[in-house]
Amino acid sequence: MANDRYDTPRKKASFEVRDLNNFVYDMSRCIKCKGCYWVDHTYMPGVKYTTRCPSGTWNEFDSYQAAGKLRIGLAVAEGKFDWTPKLLEVVYADPLCGACDVGCKRNLDLEIELSLEALRMKAVKDGAGPMPAHKKIARNIADTHNQFGAPHDNRKKWIDKDISVAEKADLLYFAGCSASHTNNEIARATGKILNASGSPFMIMKDEWCCGNVLYSVGMIDEATKIAKRNIEAVKTSGAKTLVTSCAECYRMWKVDYPKMLDIATADLGFEVIHLLEFADGAIRNGRLKPTRNVDLRLTYHDSCGVSRLCDAWRPWKGERGWMGTIEPTYKRRRGTEGLYGQPRNILSAIPGLTVVEMPRIRENAFCCGAGRGTREAFPDLARFSANQRLEEVREVGAEALVSACPFCKNNFLQAIKAHGEEIKVLDISEVILASL
Amino acid sequence: MAITKEAYKALECVVGSEFITDDPILCEGYRSGPGGYESATGYERVMTTTPGAVILPRTTDDVQKIVRICNRYKVAYVPYSTGFYGPRSHCHVKNELLIDMKRMRDFELDDKHWYATVQPGVTYSPLQAECLRRGGYVVVGGGGAQVSVVANMICDGWSPLSLRIGFPHRRILGVELVLPDGEILRTGSLAVHDDAFWGEGIGPDLRGMLRGYTGVLGCLGIVTKLALKILPFQPEELKPTGISPNTGLALPVNRVKWLNFQVPSKEAETQVMYEIGKAEIAGAVTKVPLFWRAIAKTEGKEDFWDIWGKESEETIKNFHIVRVLLIGFTSEAQMRYDEAVLNDIVKEVGGVQRPTKPIDQSWIKNADSAGMWLMCGAYVSVDYIIESIPHADTHGPTYAELKARYTPPFMPDYGDPGWTMVCEAGHQGYSEYLVYWDPDEDTNPVDRFYVETSKMNIRERYYTSLLGSHQPLYLTGPKYGPNYHEWLLKVKGEFDPLWICHPPVPLAHDQFVERAEWMKSMKDWESPDEFPMPKW
Repeated sequence: MANDRYDTPRKKASFEVRDLNNFVYDMSRCIKCKGCYWVDHTYMPGVKYTTRCPSGTWNEFDSYQAAGKLRIGLAVAEGKFDWTPKLLEVVYADPLCGACDVGCKRNLDLEIELSLEALRMKAVKDGAGPMPAHKKIARNIADTHNQFGAPHDNRKKWIDKDISVAEKADLLYFAGCSASHTNNEIARATGKILNASGSPFMIMKDEWCCGNVLYSVGMIDEATKIAKRNIEAVKTSGAKTLVTSCAECYRMWKVDYPKMLDIATADLGFEVIHLLEFADGAIRNGRLKPTRNVDLRLTYHDSCGVSRLCDAWRPWKGERGWMGTIEPTYKRRRGTEGLYGQPRNILSAIPGLTVVEMPRIRENAFCCGAGRGTREAFPDLARFSANQRLEEVREVGAEALVSACPFCKNNFLQAIKAHGEEIKVLDISEVILASL
Repeated sequence: MAITKEAYKALECVVGSEFITDDPILCEGYRSGPGGYESATGYERVMTTTPGAVILPRTTDDVQKIVRICNRYKVAYVPYSTGFYGPRSHCHVKNELLIDMKRMRDFELDDKHWYATVQPGVTYSPLQAECLRRGGYVVVGGGGAQVSVVANMICDGWSPLSLRIGFPHRRILGVELVLPDGEILRTGSLAVHDDAFWGEGIGPDLRGMLRGYTGVLGCLGIVTKLALKILPFQPEELKPTGISPNTGLALPVNRVKWLNFQVPSKEAETQVMYEIGKAEIAGAVTKVPLFWRAIAKTEGKEDFWDIWGKESEETIKNFHIVRVLLIGFTSEAQMRYDEAVLNDIVKEVGGVQRPTKPIDQSWIKNADSAGMWLMCGAYVSVDYIIESIPHADTHGPTYAELKARYTPPFMPDYGDPGWTMVCEAGHQGYSEYLVYWDPDEDTNPVDRFYVETSKMNIRERYYTSLLGSHQPLYLTGPKYGPNYHEWLLKVKGEFDPLWICHPPVPLAHDQFVERAEWMKSMKDWESPDEFPMPKW
């Protein structure tokens, strides 16, 4: 690199989330521009819907936005604070939706998402985290291999007589805990879509939780064990492609598994895709034909796990020197690989549908607030976020809100139920199925 | 003095327990540094601290009550809108109350009379979005689209678009200000009724008081409402396009178009700016620091240094580029006329057009100030002037010369003379000098450079807009005044008798020089043994 004439000592650096100190540089370079908080200014819709940070909108002290959290995180790394209930709230009242990360990377490339994850790893390592509600989920996963504590035997109950599951196939459908236990309609729709496309698919012999909540709340050792077990199971199955219908599972398999195992997504040994990618491709090449009219005015919600959080993982270790430059160079994960076009392609191919966009979409979407352990530990924040989003749904006059994640679906449904409203909430798999 | 339980309770009664905190964790979130404007400078380290408490008012009434309680219980306070512009808008004394204005986001737009009334929580891009939707526009200041409109309007607030519609303070209409003792001052038409449509009012024009907001010139109150003029734009939609980080407004090129021209010399650059002003064409004219061009081309920090590292003093000296925004305000025909005149002007000096994208990534709706930190991690606009074009022309190179002596720690910029633009149809020239450094280097020279710039300005007789806030008052006051420092302190004492609003501003930089060991050798001016504040 040119200009390294200042002889700034080089320091070892890494994006390994197990150590908060790896992100001291990022935390110390936040300039409070609050790109983490505001909608990208180019897309700013007006004086309504100006923010994309659920926690910072829920609690308006700066300390709940990334700008504040990074300052607090830096103080934690420097050992300035003991863990207190307030500190745990700042760290955990946050769906880690990635809005802050892509916002920052509009200009500065600070690794905010990783810093916030590392802060949770430290909370757990120090014996302070996670929150009690998370510990209950961890117990459920350990006991029953699903986050709800439902009997493990029920995991395959979604498979009905109309769904054909192959013994052996290149494609493996990973249904995840929600579609297997609480949202069978998603797994069934997905199974039928895969069947309709003529692509044989199999399922895991013994599917376990992906470990999303464990990883997200900082229980990285437990999550790593699950990752190893699940990856091994897929490799043993001989599948070439794993397809999920859950945005959180998708993110885990595609991003966080390789991150925990210090490998690149490309080195997993199989491809990870979401139903959105599968269906978009199948419609384009004619294997899926959405010919039935679906008479509905709907709007699409970009779930975080299939949008700004799903750039392939690329591990990095190296050195940081003059002006903070790093070597070897690194292709930053800025959320640009998100599945923004696929759902819109799918919906536009369905006859009868009227698709209207909300003011905040794609990388600027306002998270539903449920994911990554938030709804369980901070239901008030999850409810608040969902209501913020529903206000947009009402504003654009949509009859239905469609997403690609059961966490989003359930959270929106609960918020709607509380208001006794008429808005339908659907998973995109249900909409696709209705058109076939 | 600590914030007593009694004072805290009184404050809590104003906003409710949800909107006030003295929890050290939450207060840490309001620490100034180490990132940000002036990051890692001695000023940030020596002069700032975390708040003793943070409060989020919703209404003017809340602000007035808070300020009165602060006076009653002798609690120092600082108003804070978005916190972007660094240490000077953060707490300077222990147990200070930070009044975070972000909940005050009332917004009204009168599209019949073309003005908007905003509270301090309203930022630029939402305001601009509302204006554009109605066929109007405001200037999104160089501070960025994310800054508070109020804070920006009363301090800086200019951009290349100031070519057409002038400086922000000329567009301030009615204002509501809570004075440091809790009295409410209403200026312009707001002084006589509820409509803020007009800036002039009965009696003396008190808009000079506004410069108290973020510490600029003394902290003389908190603006709780401000109306600003909106100007007509053109009718076609500017569509947002792209995925972050590559977003921009797609321009209807029949009505809005950016053009770049390379001209053969600095003199030619100046002539183009003059002639554009004389011909009264274009919506913006600017000559940006050349490293900004490199930023626009990069995929990241490392990439930037690879691109910028190929430059040299020779290449910078011989590269002159003028960027012009054409706007067909009234018609396509007007746009064509402007373009033809512009081409003639450029041809006359031997300039050539260079390619540029048909989108606006910065200035119309988004002003990308945050990108300034990409290269080094630390940045400050150490000075800016608003005077004549020749004044701007000589200001930059003088700075470049001084800067060379402080490089490192400053980044190598190969003598780039900074940012120049033309405002108010060529009647004013603007020059801004920006410096960048690695916060991990020894930054004491950065602090010394600041004071050195004051001395240079005095020596070279440059007018500077950062006279009061970023330089020692006892250094600049006698030289520029000859006694403006005495007047400023008198005004402060009159309106803030307890000196309770953001102490020790306006003597903060003086105090910094006294406190920081590495600044002592710089001090060759007179100041009292004891500064006349605070009063408690």
